[in-house]
Amino acid sequence: MRRRRARRAGTARREGASEVGTLALQLLVNGILLGGLYVLVAQSLNLIFGVMGVVNLAHGSIIALAGLFTYWFSMRTGLSPLLVLPLALAGGAAAGAAGQRLLIEPVMQAGAKAGLLSLIVTFGLSYVLIELALQVFGSDFVSVPYLQSSWKLGALAFGKALVVAGAFAAVMSALLYWWLNRTYSGKALLAASQSPTGALSCGIDVARVRLIAFGIGVGLAAAAGVLVIVIMPVAPQTASDLTLLAFVIIALGGLGDYLGVAAAALLLGIAQSVAGYYLGGNAEYVLPYVLLLVVMLAGPGRFRRLG
Amino acid sequence: MASLPARLGALLAGGLALPLAGLFAAPPAANAAPPIVIGTTISETGALATDGLYEIKGIKAGVAEANLHGGWLGRKIVLKYYDDKSSPGTAVRLYQRLVTLDKVNLLVGPYSSLVTIAIAPLINKYKMATLEPGASVPSIYVPGNKWNLMNTADSTTYLHQLLPLAKQHGARTAALLGLESAYSLACYHARVAQAKQLGLKIVYRTTYTLQTDFSSIALAIKHANPDVVLECAYYPDSVNLVRALHEQGFAPKFLGETVGPVEAAYVQALGPLANRVFGNTGWWFNFKTPGNKTFIAAYTRMFHQQPDYHAAAGYTAIQVLGAAVQATHSLDQAKIRHWIVTHTVQSIQGPIHDNANGRTTGAVQDMVQIQNGVLKLVAPAELAQAPVLFPYTGH
Repeated sequence: MRRRRARRAGTARREGASEVGTLALQLLVNGILLGGLYVLVAQSLNLIFGVMGVVNLAHGSIIALAGLFTYWFSMRTGLSPLLVLPLALAGGAAAGAAGQRLLIEPVMQAGAKAGLLSLIVTFGLSYVLIELALQVFGSDFVSVPYLQSSWKLGALAFGKALVVAGAFAAVMSALLYWWLNRTYSGKALLAASQSPTGALSCGIDVARVRLIAFGIGVGLAAAAGVLVIVIMPVAPQTASDLTLLAFVIIALGGLGDYLGVAAAALLLGIAQSVAGYYLGGNAEYVLPYVLLLVVMLAGPGRFRRLG
Repeated sequence: MASLPARLGALLAGGLALPLAGLFAAPPAANAAPPIVIGTTISETGALATDGLYEIKGIKAGVAEANLHGGWLGRKIVLKYYDDKSSPGTAVRLYQRLVTLDKVNLLVGPYSSLVTIAIAPLINKYKMATLEPGASVPSIYVPGNKWNLMNTADSTTYLHQLLPLAKQHGARTAALLGLESAYSLACYHARVAQAKQLGLKIVYRTTYTLQTDFSSIALAIKHANPDVVLECAYYPDSVNLVRALHEQGFAPKFLGETVGPVEAAYVQALGPLANRVFGNTGWWFNFKTPGNKTFIAAYTRMFHQQPDYHAAAGYTAIQVLGAAVQATHSLDQAKIRHWIVTHTVQSIQGPIHDNANGRTTGAVQDMVQIQNGVLKLVAPAELAQAPVLFPYTGH
């Protein structure tokens, strides 16, 4: 009798432990997937800042505009929104390069005031893009009902849309890292970011490097928009929230630090996932900003690039 | 969403047409009585735009209908409105402008309780009788805010039929969620109290700030395994919660979300996941109220879409204002306010009667359910278009 009771208690303990283990794993999975979304939103902004020192306040507007175009395309044609990805990458890159040449490059010649002027230019551009999106797409929140279910692995659920977005972000981050560190043009880009004068003296066409960096950054932001509209409702006015989110993440990860930003995005996702489960939605919402304050107080050196 | 080429064309044409219109516009007739100007702000952009746009369209339809019948006091009615961007601070600035610079004759309140709470001190300072089609929080309507006049059912009645219905069909446990916003918190606290009163065990409850990630909340709900999930929210978070629940593999027997499901965009965004979700409405197409058919026809003709209850509330505000102005033969704010709190107006939403504090009494929100992509009124029983379908299946 006593032995049977002990066996039953042992089984219950094991089941409880297994349940706790599954919960911990699911929270981890949810956090990593959320982090993947953050990488997607933040990395392109990080590229533009890292190489050019330009704080692109129009970042969220580009994501929202691309997302709204994807919605329109998908609803109009009935085709997969993912088909817009190559178009967004190419179109975004072309538009970004054109915008850089017409709007950003002239203010980059302003010497010490270049940072402030580019901030003002991209701030104005963000409003122009939001207004354009409002006029063309309206102000409704919209989202594409695509990849809404999840893949199951045992007791764990992997949201399909987040997996696709995270995988895309991972591939793009890896390609970006490889390009910047292993190819001549990428190294030229890094050199131009570290010392434009030094790069110039080595024969690097710094203006061209900036054009490429801005083009790629905007292309990636547009691609992020294609995936974001599948994950959550987006409206033109979402733009400022997306910009803020991206800034918090790159500030946490280290401005211009690609691996740092990816790591910060993933850790933030996991921390929010755990906080949301145990402490509720308000704690999850406020966590990035609390962490930002902590990081700023603990390691202001990370923000040296802002100066 | 209108076609992209059409919108782009309109955008380009608008740039040319506006300056030209100024050149060829006829001068105003010298002897015509000046129009009665109604001022308002609306959430044309920002987080509340989806519902706000319905409301302003309802107001426009009301003004158009009134003008079709000769206006009020023999004067044409003109609507002057600004986009408050869903921002309380912006709304305060704009109402100040409407009253002091634009010198409008009458006011209609903005969309949402959140924005209305911000403008209430200003409305009461200037003693302008302001109809409030989009402010459903009862705590606004207190003696200190006597110039705010409600014309819709209050938010404590949102989805008030769902928990009793679920209990009647065997539900024992509930998860309750509320967005940190004035209306949704009033709804949330009312449903928490109702669940306790009904003897339903609340196995999960939380309030949250507007956010994109609901995976943790959905996972916590899944582990609590409630029979009913009821969320007091706006459209974007309604969509996000349903998706997150589905991703975590959980479907409660009853799923209700206050104002999201009544928007056409909800079914479009969720597809089959929206099937059998409950929502609430203060007005419906089959209401046998005076002028309802005229409202639906006018709204559909003007905006090429079907109205929702936010639009009906906006239209009702104009109905109530019009009744007061014509009954008092005046634009005197005190007379208009007195008339409104001492009379009942037969509106398209039903009888609107405000008590001395300006709170609408007797009006409640009804309940709708999405059934195979179509919204059906399911409560109250005497107006129901279809029986309630359950359980929610998540597909």
